[in-house]
Amino acid sequence: MDVKLHKMRGVVNKLYERIDYLIENCPNMTAAPYNYNYIFKYIIIGDMGVGKSCLLHQFTEKKFMANCPHTIGVEFGTRIIEVDDKKIKLQIWDTAGQERFRAVTRSYYRGAAGALMVYDITRRSTYNHLSSWLTDTRNLTNPSTVIFLIGNKSDLESTREVTYEEAKEFADENGLMFLEASAMTGQNVEEAFLETARKIYQNIQEGRLDLNASESGVQHRPSQPSRPSLSSEATHAKDQCSC
Amino acid sequence: MERGSNYPNGGDASAAAVPVKTTLSIVQERFKADETVHLIFEAYQIKGQEHIEGLLALVSSASGGTYAIISFSLLRNPLTASNDLKINKVFPINASFKLTTDSKAPKTEQFDLCTDDDRPTKYYYYSMRTDPAAVDFNEFCAKVNSCKKTMWDAELPSEAALNFRWLDDYREIGEVKHELKKRESEYIIYKDIIVYCATWNVNNKPCWDNKNTLRPWLASGKKAPDIYAIGLQELENTARAMLNGNQMQMFATQWVRKMLENLHDDMEYEELQSVRLSGIMLTIFVRKNLRQHIVRCRVNSVARGVFNTLGNKGGVAVSFQLNEASICFVNSHLAAHMGNVAERNDDYKAIDDYMRFEENGLQVRTINDHDHIFWLGDLNYRIQEPNGQQRPGPMSDAQTFELMLQYDQLRTEMSYERCFKGYTEGEIKFAPTYKYDVGTDTYDTGEKQRAPAYCDRVLWKGKLIEQLEYNGVMEIRESDHKPVYAIFRVKIKTRDDDKYRKVLAEVLKAVDKRENDSQPQITTDRLNIEFGVVRFNEPAIRDFNVSNDCPQNVDFEFKVKDSHNDICEKWLHVDPRGDSLMIDSARSIRVRALVDANSVTGLLKMICTAVDKCVLDILILHVRSGRDIFITVTGEYQPSCFGLSMETLCRTERPIGEYTLDEVKQLMLDVTPGYRVPMPREYFLLIDYLHNQRGQLFQSYDRRQPLSSQFNAVRDWLDSWSNDPFPGTPQTAAEALLLLLDLPEQALLEPFVDDLLASRSKVDAERYIDLLSDPKRNVFKHLCLFLCDGVERGDYDANNVATIFGRILLRSSKCNVTIDYHSRCNEFMQRFIRIESPDTLSGGNGHGGASLQT
Repeated sequence: MDVKLHKMRGVVNKLYERIDYLIENCPNMTAAPYNYNYIFKYIIIGDMGVGKSCLLHQFTEKKFMANCPHTIGVEFGTRIIEVDDKKIKLQIWDTAGQERFRAVTRSYYRGAAGALMVYDITRRSTYNHLSSWLTDTRNLTNPSTVIFLIGNKSDLESTREVTYEEAKEFADENGLMFLEASAMTGQNVEEAFLETARKIYQNIQEGRLDLNASESGVQHRPSQPSRPSLSSEATHAKDQCSC
Repeated sequence: MERGSNYPNGGDASAAAVPVKTTLSIVQERFKADETVHLIFEAYQIKGQEHIEGLLALVSSASGGTYAIISFSLLRNPLTASNDLKINKVFPINASFKLTTDSKAPKTEQFDLCTDDDRPTKYYYYSMRTDPAAVDFNEFCAKVNSCKKTMWDAELPSEAALNFRWLDDYREIGEVKHELKKRESEYIIYKDIIVYCATWNVNNKPCWDNKNTLRPWLASGKKAPDIYAIGLQELENTARAMLNGNQMQMFATQWVRKMLENLHDDMEYEELQSVRLSGIMLTIFVRKNLRQHIVRCRVNSVARGVFNTLGNKGGVAVSFQLNEASICFVNSHLAAHMGNVAERNDDYKAIDDYMRFEENGLQVRTINDHDHIFWLGDLNYRIQEPNGQQRPGPMSDAQTFELMLQYDQLRTEMSYERCFKGYTEGEIKFAPTYKYDVGTDTYDTGEKQRAPAYCDRVLWKGKLIEQLEYNGVMEIRESDHKPVYAIFRVKIKTRDDDKYRKVLAEVLKAVDKRENDSQPQITTDRLNIEFGVVRFNEPAIRDFNVSNDCPQNVDFEFKVKDSHNDICEKWLHVDPRGDSLMIDSARSIRVRALVDANSVTGLLKMICTAVDKCVLDILILHVRSGRDIFITVTGEYQPSCFGLSMETLCRTERPIGEYTLDEVKQLMLDVTPGYRVPMPREYFLLIDYLHNQRGQLFQSYDRRQPLSSQFNAVRDWLDSWSNDPFPGTPQTAAEALLLLLDLPEQALLEPFVDDLLASRSKVDAERYIDLLSDPKRNVFKHLCLFLCDGVERGDYDANNVATIFGRILLRSSKCNVTIDYHSRCNEFMQRFIRIESPDTLSGGNGHGGASLQT
């Protein structure tokens, strides 16, 4: 009798372990687990005062910092986004734009999956320097790094010095994605960050980006089985699990 | 009571004063009402070099019936609010949970916690507690182990009673889930659906005997229902059914088909699920386009009747989830006969208690775990008329029904809460459904003359249910029971996907923001370390402060820069290279600048290439898991002759000390052969002085050695072309000469060092010497004369000076110098300083040594 009881206890304990396992691992119908499938590293580069930090703040905190101090160093922020039902954690490095830091900031390019190259549409000089930023980016990142050109301060139309067409042409010639955005109004900010992520994700899907390369700027989380999304697959998920 | 008026709620002021919260109460705030913090224990973790202050809390949940240890790290110490606690790990105390102390070292103040297949997590503790609310280690172990024991070692736990679901809210995924739950009202909407419940005891009549339509029973009501739940009882005589299962199944299938044919016309339906226990069957039909919204459909049955196992009585049930609402339908056939009220109650209780639906591989969900419950069937409760009372005559009007229902056993039992607790039944405005002569609307005229009764009922439990109709169907006469149906309007909790997505996005963003905001931060009191004028061989020190102004401990370190494999340039020294800062603490960092023999060349090289000649370096102050801060170190190097090439020194027209750094930069970048003097004046001055000194001046040379105390005076003497007497000892002069020759980036005999090392004779070597730039050649030849002279006088040992100077003049930057490199240097020099015929040295060009004797 004792032996039998002991065996049953063993079985029950196994079942309990299974509960815990399932609680931890099964997708939930009311809220999908907070997790991500990929980490993408981004860098934001461009001349001093073009609004790199403001773009980052706008994207990560949805607020505009009117008197954003110059970045003396490298700030970073994260945000989890969804692309194609995959959760992607963006790890964004916002670099100092001052010329004197140029040599130091170069070390941050390595391993970036996305580079947001920013100029200020109201300051022509910041646009003129793009080719030098682009050279750095091309030299210091890998060929699959997605470079997105952002013409910031699109809200300041009256003092515009760089036309959309001109910048668009530059972007097309150099194979860059391009948008004019405003960190102040938030216009096109989400789009720029998300489009970059979509492009990176597309590169992964199409095999143009080697995840195993140490400097791809993308970390995959293969240990997490791809989870059903919150919306479209939720109904199926419910069938499998009922947390 | 002047003060009391400030406290409208209080009476006396002391009660209203903010009470000092204990740590235990702060920790408790992190949990829900039915979760209890039993004890807290101070334990810390070590990650890398970092101590992470933490707390372990033993918590139990009343709803889950289980214990767990929650591990917190402290964002602020001491705690002021529950926000200062960050959950870093959750250990359910399940069967696999282990608390292990290191048995090999009994005195060690550390232990492991481990649960499931995870790797153990190590914790450390101080034997001294700081918080009075915390327990000591022995008590902690004892409590935790006794919790595990009571839960898992005592009795076989009832699997339904215990779960760890409550812990979900505290795992990493919990934060988002918790937020979403809090904001549920923003994305939950309620949708009306029509639920049609029907029950009929069919009295063992196969449905093909029934040629008539079932529509009056199943297609009543104006609006087409969304869900049908149809319960049948006595589908077939139980004994027969047990003997022939196949036939029974066929009966059931026929019934399902028959019912499906008789549903409401306006809508297409499909069978969602049927469940049968002997003759008790429950079938759910749903609107075809509703099917996709239904998930987790589960069935089960509880057998009662003979030996409580045969299943001639009992219940079957279907559970499923529609959108966000869980719905349960039960069809039961309870114990028969007038007197068996208690048995019926027992049957109900048994079904209610034992009916379980599978969840995560376990039968854990009960009937009462659903939002909306419908219980229908032949409940068999009778009309218990007081003895002697006459059975009413024609039973057709509501008044009569009401009269009879006064004696309805179900109503009575429910009023005493002996069954169907929490259930509601609608008003009955139809005749008793039992017992009729088959084929008629006449009550039992048979032998037993059973009293009419409301055996067949539909009850409900749960929120947002409205009954629209409840009726018996007289015109269906195949059975001794009349069928009953009830129609409900149910408000189903539904998630608005668009709104949900929006809320989810906001929640994720808020969580991200919290993560970003909780990044460790430090500030430095300066971003620019200004050294002012920096002179050769003169150390200077600057301090600056870093302070932690965020609510957590912060680690910082200076980042190693790829370009030079160190955190800073060679002329700087930073101490410390990294440290930890507690909350609200600060410390000072010392930066020392020293341009010396080892670093001057690098600095001069940088000055030649840098945009800003005053930036000595940029330090990267890295905050672990946070931002990097760039600290610019500036200073203006005061040029000195040391480190400059012979060519550069030959271009000067005034003392080097009078040049600005920019001018020196120009001189260094100049490559034209326009030399002002045949050899550097500084060099000549030193040789000139040394020539008149006696004794062994060149003993040894190592550029890493500290320089003698008079060196800086000599430096200034040289850099100002001073006419004053030499300010140092002969040793200082020798030291200065060696440095002057050694420090330039290029060895004096470059670019021919390799050729000269390979040369086998003096003549051979001289071919290359002649190709050197004028300043270098002149310096070399002059040096040889000088050394030769010293050797000749017997002051210098030829072998010794050959070794020292050979290595300087033939300094090789190549790593793979040959084994005989040193001996070759020596040999080479020896050839030039051995006493030979003076002709060989004085011949050649016009810049002979003698011409410099000004």
